[in-house]
Amino acid sequence: MITIGSLCLLPTILCALCVAGLSNAITRQIAVALLWTQFAIATKIVFPVISGESPACNFSDDFGLDVYGAVLLSLTNFVAACSFTQAAIYFNCKQKDRVTPNKDHEKSFYFFGALLLIAMNFVFISENMGLLWVSVEATTLCSATLVYHERNKHALEATWKYLIVCSVGIAFALFGTILFFAASQQTGFEGTLDIRILLERASTLDPKFLQLGYIFCLLGYGTKAGVFPLHTWLPDAHSEAPAAASALLSGSLLNCALFAICRLTELVMMTEHHVIASSVPIGWGALTALTASLLIIRQTGIKLLWAYSSMENVGIMMCAIGLGTPSLFVLMAVNHSLVKVALFLFSGNIIQTIGTKRINRIRGVLQISPACGLGVALCACAVTGIPPFGSFVAEWLILQSLVKKNELLAAAILFVAITMAFMGVGKHICYMLGGRAKSSTRTKIPFVSLMVPLILCLCSLLLGVSTLTQMLLEVL
Amino acid sequence: MSIVSPQEVCLTASALVACLILGSLHVRVSLWLLGFESTLIALATGLFFLHTNERNLGTLAVLIFLSKGCFVPIFLAWLTEKLQAKRDSSCFLPVPLSMLLCIFLFALSFQLTRQLPQHHGAEQSFFGAAAGISQVFSGLVMMMTRRLAISQVTGFLIIENGIYTFALTQTRGMPLLVEMGVLLDLLVAIMVTGLLMFKIQQSFEHIDVTQLRDLRD
Repeated sequence: MITIGSLCLLPTILCALCVAGLSNAITRQIAVALLWTQFAIATKIVFPVISGESPACNFSDDFGLDVYGAVLLSLTNFVAACSFTQAAIYFNCKQKDRVTPNKDHEKSFYFFGALLLIAMNFVFISENMGLLWVSVEATTLCSATLVYHERNKHALEATWKYLIVCSVGIAFALFGTILFFAASQQTGFEGTLDIRILLERASTLDPKFLQLGYIFCLLGYGTKAGVFPLHTWLPDAHSEAPAAASALLSGSLLNCALFAICRLTELVMMTEHHVIASSVPIGWGALTALTASLLIIRQTGIKLLWAYSSMENVGIMMCAIGLGTPSLFVLMAVNHSLVKVALFLFSGNIIQTIGTKRINRIRGVLQISPACGLGVALCACAVTGIPPFGSFVAEWLILQSLVKKNELLAAAILFVAITMAFMGVGKHICYMLGGRAKSSTRTKIPFVSLMVPLILCLCSLLLGVSTLTQMLLEVL
Repeated sequence: MSIVSPQEVCLTASALVACLILGSLHVRVSLWLLGFESTLIALATGLFFLHTNERNLGTLAVLIFLSKGCFVPIFLAWLTEKLQAKRDSSCFLPVPLSMLLCIFLFALSFQLTRQLPQHHGAEQSFFGAAAGISQVFSGLVMMMTRRLAISQVTGFLIIENGIYTFALTQTRGMPLLVEMGVLLDLLVAIMVTGLLMFKIQQSFEHIDVTQLRDLRD
């Protein structure tokens, strides 16, 4: 109980501070300090699990942590800390430019951001499928306000779409969860939603309810993860939210939904109906990656581009889940989150300086700010899986295991998708980085606002070139 | 299964009421019907409580009646008053047709329920499960065919009611914590969508969600 309390304490304090009516400038500073402390606390909590002292820890009846949840929990808190740091820099710049339309908007950003962080933490520590569902739905509700931050018509439309599509999708996951419960009480046992108990008596679960429940959960959480054709909310929400919020959505919220799918897949794999838990996610993931890579080519907005690239990575991660290798999924998730957060933060800087999201109006980023241009180029390489970066290792291992498991068609589709995504992203990036900037937009991007994304980019590079990946894989 | 119990009558009636909601274009009428439907479900939960004496079910019956039966319809009715959205219009299916479709899906859900595995000993309600599935279908049809944002929310609530009905009749002893969490999420969702509807009304001067398509590419 104390552990759970300490995970929620600092975000709750942040919420209280937002309500208390401190000035925005002070709230900003405190928020950054609180979130980095929160990251330290989270790391301390998960450390025994990651270092291998204990395979899993139990907090109470319904809450616990396994090694995959542990890595993702600390990753989520790291991403949140980075995003909020960048948000503070962004709001500071805005204040200097005297373009703060409404002070309450910033407060509500911090308030709901902190709530979102609590909800996401609960996703990773819930060992009860019902509470897992409640937490995932709570993340949707909290993040809707972040998407609506700009308070204009487009943001409104994106928020409405996000809320309705995800709520209905998640309703299906609730239906699936109930079917899992029904499956657990068919053979005379008392029904339970505790995943640990379900894993123990996997063989006694009723097969029909189990398969139906799995399909419904896949549909539901798949909507939240943005798999094709349920992805319609994803590009708009990512594109309309402010950069720091998009980074949170892409870098940690997608992981939450995928983590839920991963838990359930693990469970169904233990039963004799494991075929459904491997063929469906692999096929669906490959299809998602292919569609996303096709859509990347004709994108018109810089953040839309990264949104579709996230969708492509979700497809790859779904394949890893279907392979029954959660370790590869977590490795991919870590790499993707680091780089994608960096890319969204860089894009925020670019949009702020040039004043448009449209790719065909962004020219000469290298000329405006060489550091920013170089960072974007490196991150774009990382996100498409170019060798020195960590995601290359993850993608390579996933492709390798697909071939080993004789899923040749899926491997081929995934290979084509990765190649096309590389070409699409490359084309857009070259266009934006090259050329001459309009003289009116030649304002400098302050180096301090490039710090966070550059560090993230460096982290991804370190994961690729050092033995960190090896160590991570050994832990998982 | 030979004798139909009163709770099954309630649940089947609630599924039929869900079909009726599809037949009305007056937002107010459909909201009252929604309240009536949720009350029927709360009543069925209460009857289950008397039948099995599980205390959780008693608490839930009261909570459902207060939240979904009273609060949500009244809140939404207040919202329609504020937003001046009295009549909805169907977007691609005429109203009688969508109602007929619902009746057809109601029949189909009985066929689907037959495919479900049977319980070993525990009391499982055939009619209840069919009613649940039928309500999910009705809610989906509602969400797909209506234009007004408020009707979309109504459709979502019907889906949620259907899922709850299914859970009530197919499972025993769902943890109360989970049920409460679900209800809480639902209430917050209704509040958030309500607020958003205000904003949509302010910026677009209507709440016809089929016209929100600036972002479509």
